[in-house]
Amino acid sequence: QAHTFRSSLPLLNQPRRRRRETQPERERERDSQMGNRSKTSRKGKKAWRANISTEDIEDFFEKSTKDALSGGNLSAAPSEDLFHVDKSHDIPVKRKIEKHREKALRCDSVLKKNPFVQVVSSSKPKSKISKKKTNVVESKTFKQAQKNVDDGSVMTDLWGDDDNNNGEHEKNPRKIWKMTSSIPAVEVDPAGCSYNPTAESHEDMLAEAVAQEMQKVYKNELGPEPVPLTIDGNNNIEDEAGLLSVCNRIINGKSAYFLGVDNGSEGEEEADAEKESSEAGNNKNARTTKRVTRVVLNKRSRQKALRKMETKEKLKEKLSKEIDSLPKILKEIAKDDKEKQNKLIRRKIAKEEVLKIRPPRLGKHKFEAPPVQVLLTEEMTGSLRKLKACCTLARDRFKSLEKRGILVPSKNIRRN
Amino acid sequence: MPKHYRPAGKKKEGNAARYMTRSQALKSLQVNLNLFRRLCIVKGIFPREPKKKVKGNHHTYYHVKDISFLQHEPLLEKFREIKTYQKKVQKAKAKKNEELARLLLTRQPTYKLDRLIRERYPTFIDALRDLDDCLTMVHLFAVLPASDRENLEVKRVHNCRRLSHEWQAYISRTHALRKVFVSVKGIYYQAELEGQKITWLTPHAIQQVFTNDVDFGVLLTFLEFYETLLAFTNFKLYHSLNVKYPPILDSRLEALAADLYALSRYIDASSRGMTVEAKVDASSSSQSNDRAESELRLAQLQHQLPSSEPGALMHLVADKEVEEDEETRACKSLFKDLKFFLSREVPRESLLFVLPAFGGTVSWEGEGAPFKEDDESITHHIIDKPSAGHMYLSREYVQPQWIYDCVNARVILPTEKYLVGRIPPPHLSPFVDNEAEGYVPDYAETIKRLQAAARNDVLPLPGVGKEDLEDPQNLLYAGVMSRAEEAEAAKTKKKMAELEKQYHEELKKEVTGSAVDDVAAAPVVEGGDGEESSVPDAAQIAQDTADMPTLMMSRKKRKLYDAMKIGQKKKSESVERIKQRKKNLKADQ
Repeated sequence: QAHTFRSSLPLLNQPRRRRRETQPERERERDSQMGNRSKTSRKGKKAWRANISTEDIEDFFEKSTKDALSGGNLSAAPSEDLFHVDKSHDIPVKRKIEKHREKALRCDSVLKKNPFVQVVSSSKPKSKISKKKTNVVESKTFKQAQKNVDDGSVMTDLWGDDDNNNGEHEKNPRKIWKMTSSIPAVEVDPAGCSYNPTAESHEDMLAEAVAQEMQKVYKNELGPEPVPLTIDGNNNIEDEAGLLSVCNRIINGKSAYFLGVDNGSEGEEEADAEKESSEAGNNKNARTTKRVTRVVLNKRSRQKALRKMETKEKLKEKLSKEIDSLPKILKEIAKDDKEKQNKLIRRKIAKEEVLKIRPPRLGKHKFEAPPVQVLLTEEMTGSLRKLKACCTLARDRFKSLEKRGILVPSKNIRRN
Repeated sequence: MPKHYRPAGKKKEGNAARYMTRSQALKSLQVNLNLFRRLCIVKGIFPREPKKKVKGNHHTYYHVKDISFLQHEPLLEKFREIKTYQKKVQKAKAKKNEELARLLLTRQPTYKLDRLIRERYPTFIDALRDLDDCLTMVHLFAVLPASDRENLEVKRVHNCRRLSHEWQAYISRTHALRKVFVSVKGIYYQAELEGQKITWLTPHAIQQVFTNDVDFGVLLTFLEFYETLLAFTNFKLYHSLNVKYPPILDSRLEALAADLYALSRYIDASSRGMTVEAKVDASSSSQSNDRAESELRLAQLQHQLPSSEPGALMHLVADKEVEEDEETRACKSLFKDLKFFLSREVPRESLLFVLPAFGGTVSWEGEGAPFKEDDESITHHIIDKPSAGHMYLSREYVQPQWIYDCVNARVILPTEKYLVGRIPPPHLSPFVDNEAEGYVPDYAETIKRLQAAARNDVLPLPGVGKEDLEDPQNLLYAGVMSRAEEAEAAKTKKKMAELEKQYHEELKKEVTGSAVDDVAAAPVVEGGDGEESSVPDAAQIAQDTADMPTLMMSRKKRKLYDAMKIGQKKKSESVERIKQRKKNLKADQ
């Protein structure tokens, strides 16, 4: 019983526990001295009374003695005795709070800009300079504009400060305007296209025009027929193959699918037959081979050794020859290199030549040259008044743009 | 997309990284196709053909850097702004708030292309170099009919017309025109400005049509850029002449569609300078403060200037201009003392441009012309009819082709062949180099002879003077012809001497044994017809000299030589064929 009681006590007050431990021991001693005590029942009132603790009383006494020794109870003492107002550094509360607020956290202070550390920009510093310069230019032109306004005109001289700024423009690394091709913007027609040409050159041009026209015709005639976009169901039956298949279906009562299967099985049979025949051949071969005797084996091994020797020697010879012909090889290599370079140059030139005639392929459609503008023989009158001139110059311009690779050639621009 | 950021799965290098298709470009720029096209045209960015077309052959590819270049264009932002503004207007219209819509439309944001022109053409020379297309386009749109369907406004057509006239006025004023070629397509002009050859094509005076296979939207965008470019170029050019740029023209002449003439008068007047201005101020001192008023007066005054002698006026100005090269001087003095009158049926615009450019004085039939048809001092009457009605004896009636041919040859050609009612000789292209082509047409040879004669002809012929008004040109022609023949004789003599010299040289070379290189020249020696008469044995010797080295040559060289010979033969054959054809044609006729 005593043990259960003890365990429920707080662990901290060690001395008290010691005391409690001692009390039952004493009782036990007392019991053993009396002798008869053990025989009585412990269920009675007396026995229980013995178990009532006087701890709280003891505690109180202990405490009061302690207080007396230390100089009085604290809770009873007035607060003035306990506390005093410190008036030495009297900072206003508001300021205190502000001071607290001013203090930056380290994580923030680290992110703050340091005036002593130079900024590393991600963009090029060059652009900054050019920006400044352009600003200057703009202001200049603005001034000029004002001047011109005074003159009575609205425009400005765009290239007025050419002389000053030449250097800057050359410095600009990006070449903005790059010619797309070597084809000139305005191609002058050949002499045969004159309104009053010489007979020879006119005939030449006419021949060219006819050739162009005929090329189109031939292309239409000789080229593969375009695949039809839609096929009629009725047409399909009229087709010979279609008719045949339909007939087959009707006659055999089988679908095309089964026919296909039949064909496959036939093929398999054929393959089987072939296999058999080849096996038979192998058997025959096996029978015809002779046994290899020791003599033959020896002979073979000797020959093998001999061959090995020979090849070795040959290799040696070859090597020595190659060493001898080193300069020759070097020469050959040089020649090869030269040829390669020539080839490269040739290819480049050829490409340029092609580009002169034909524009680059920029989109889905190829560029189609416009028809040559040339007079027919009966239209040649020699009079400027009666000239049957070209009235589609806009098309000519458009085609020129396409030819120079500025526009992407397209078909069917208009929807009507 | 910033350059340091590369999304996962995107290629780092090669064509896949360097090029993007058009639709990708649209996505990354966040614009629609229409806007993208405009931006590309204005900015001068064109599709490219990569070596490897990563997405297939049917796509259009752009360089990534080009696209990022577009991304930084301020104009892109401006276009977006305009688009949103347009939405506002649409909204107002949809809500039937017509007044608001009208108000909004008056305050529409606009954009300017000045900066782009400066960016694309950093120097003036760059702009001149790229003026061919610009001029052709502007000249073309100047004659197109305004059309609602194609979004071509009358205002723009007029602007094009004005710009083209301004350009022509400048060129003819500075005598910079060099070549003219009348083809079926139109009239080609070539001018030389600051060492740059500028070629452009103007349409004939017939109605141009809109065809279905042309996207006029694209052309109009090009035109928009070119208009600005030409305006700035004209500005610069006019200021170099000390002429105010947007010129103020005589409204009467403008109404009569004689812009070019009005312009040339304007330039003359304003480059003559202060005197005219002073006069104006004096005459209209009461209202001189009003600037517009005085300008109007100035324009009117220009018209009152002595119109009979603009040539004299030009001289006044010309004295001031210092630097002129040889060719300009030649061009300036070609039609110096000649006076032309244009009939109704000749291409007036073109001739009004060409004749003053070569120093001539022109008038035409119609109101506002500087002088009338019955002026006695007219030397040439340009006519394109089978027969002229009333003919003055003091002048020659020639077809317009005569002028173009004279201009190209830089010589006053005899007018005989170009007279009224005759079929003129062929109009040759000045852009063809006959020497390189290997075939020289007959008429070109005639012209050459005349040119040579004119060059020798430093002093005027003694027998023929200006006093012979009846037929000065014919007499001149006769004289020229005799001169020409003389020159030709001298030429043949020279040629023979040269051939002989060459022959001797070759003999020498043969002796030294180094004739291999000059073998090609041997047949020429053989071919010379003068040679055989003077040195009878020459042919045989030449044959030997030709054969010897071929025998000595290595096979490779011989083959090469043969190939060369075949090439030459082909060329000569083609020339021969042309000649044969010509002969046949003549026989047919």
